[in-house]
Amino acid sequence: MKFSSLVVFVCSLSGCAHVAVYERGALAHPSMTTGDLASPSEEHVREVHEGAMGGSFSAGGGCGCN
Amino acid sequence: MAIASIPLSLWQSTARAQAADTAPPPNASSIDVRASSAFGTYGDTDHVFVQTPSIAGSVANPTAGWSIDGQYLVDVVSAASVDIVSTASRRWEEVRQAGELNAAYKPGPFGVSAAGAVSSEPDYLSWTAGGALTQDLLDKNLTLLAAYYHTHDVAGRSGTPFSVFSHAINRDAFKAAATVVLGRATIASLMGDLVVENGDPSKPYRYIPLFAPGTYVPLGASIDLVTSLRVSARPLEQLPLSRERYAFTARLAHRFYRSTLRVDERLYADSWGLKASTTDARYLVDVARRVETGPHVRLHEQTSVNFWQRAYVLEPGFDYPALRTGDRELGPLLNATGGFLLRVAIGSDREPDAWALGFDLNATWTQFFDDLYVTHRFAAVGGITLEAQR
Repeated sequence: MKFSSLVVFVCSLSGCAHVAVYERGALAHPSMTTGDLASPSEEHVREVHEGAMGGSFSAGGGCGCN
Repeated sequence: MAIASIPLSLWQSTARAQAADTAPPPNASSIDVRASSAFGTYGDTDHVFVQTPSIAGSVANPTAGWSIDGQYLVDVVSAASVDIVSTASRRWEEVRQAGELNAAYKPGPFGVSAAGAVSSEPDYLSWTAGGALTQDLLDKNLTLLAAYYHTHDVAGRSGTPFSVFSHAINRDAFKAAATVVLGRATIASLMGDLVVENGDPSKPYRYIPLFAPGTYVPLGASIDLVTSLRVSARPLEQLPLSRERYAFTARLAHRFYRSTLRVDERLYADSWGLKASTTDARYLVDVARRVETGPHVRLHEQTSVNFWQRAYVLEPGFDYPALRTGDRELGPLLNATGGFLLRVAIGSDREPDAWALGFDLNATWTQFFDDLYVTHRFAAVGGITLEAQR
């Protein structure tokens, strides 16, 4: 009961709508994925060049930065 | 030296698991098989060049709710950066190999996924393992995710066995995310990350120049000037032995009639005092039945870590600064990126997406606000991908 109340509360804050499965044609487009669209090479560069990458930073791979 | 810890793609695999629910009903008992081969290349004005061939593949049965995917890549790095030259070292080349395997099972509202990754090069070994749980709620209009990954790294010196010299670094990464359907064409994700690192991540090759008290060292001072100003002592880098990272990311995607707008904002802070903001936006347009393209912009700005100094001082008594670094990615900087991607379906008229060619190109300008040797860097990264699916 508490969990259900929490879900309803979160949803009311976020403004989520009720969209039926058959109404999700636009959401099914590949570009609507919740993942990142960066290529592996681009990801790699970010991990090296952005000191704020969470958990992916450390050794500065392939950066030539000594 | 290489990418260690948690590859972004592991996080993305969990995100893909979330996104799978928005897909249209698949053909009954169909098995999707995908394979791709990619070649990426990177070059910058600091004389660093990387070639990255990779292959990836996946097998999935959307009806049954399971999927397996994997990736293997090789990084060939050639570098003669200012950091290397300043230590009187020669150009070096290095090869890194990395692979990962992900599996997910989501037959209904509840799903699980597991992932593992390994990265190896002469002086660095890293492995990661972990998993995620997902739960659909409100008729799949809200999906919650919780994930945990552990990474173990061993950092050494090239040519020296790990048994003789190595540092161990452990990371525990926790993630919580909620994906919300905001409308028939709009979706949003909110993600929180906590990463706890323990171990010595200091680079065993990075020597830090020290200066006498009162010495003025200008921004971007050349190697010759630094050499003339510094004292003879030049200790190795020393970073703190633990770090906690916190990040919050919001992602919004909206599908227009024939285009998609995606905007991300990521706020970051860590126990070393580094704070950052990253804004990323893409606009993808279906310009024809077989062609999708669009621009990409990204702005990343960060403060320095709290022990950052452009010129570390050797205090009287010859005490080295306890914490010291020359890693300019720990200093204050601004990255501005612009680029585009292009995807062309080249399959038959009946199945145009059975084969596809992808191109992407991004250029990044980095401004370093408080560094020795360099004040800016221009880098370009591009890739070409061939995809096949049935």
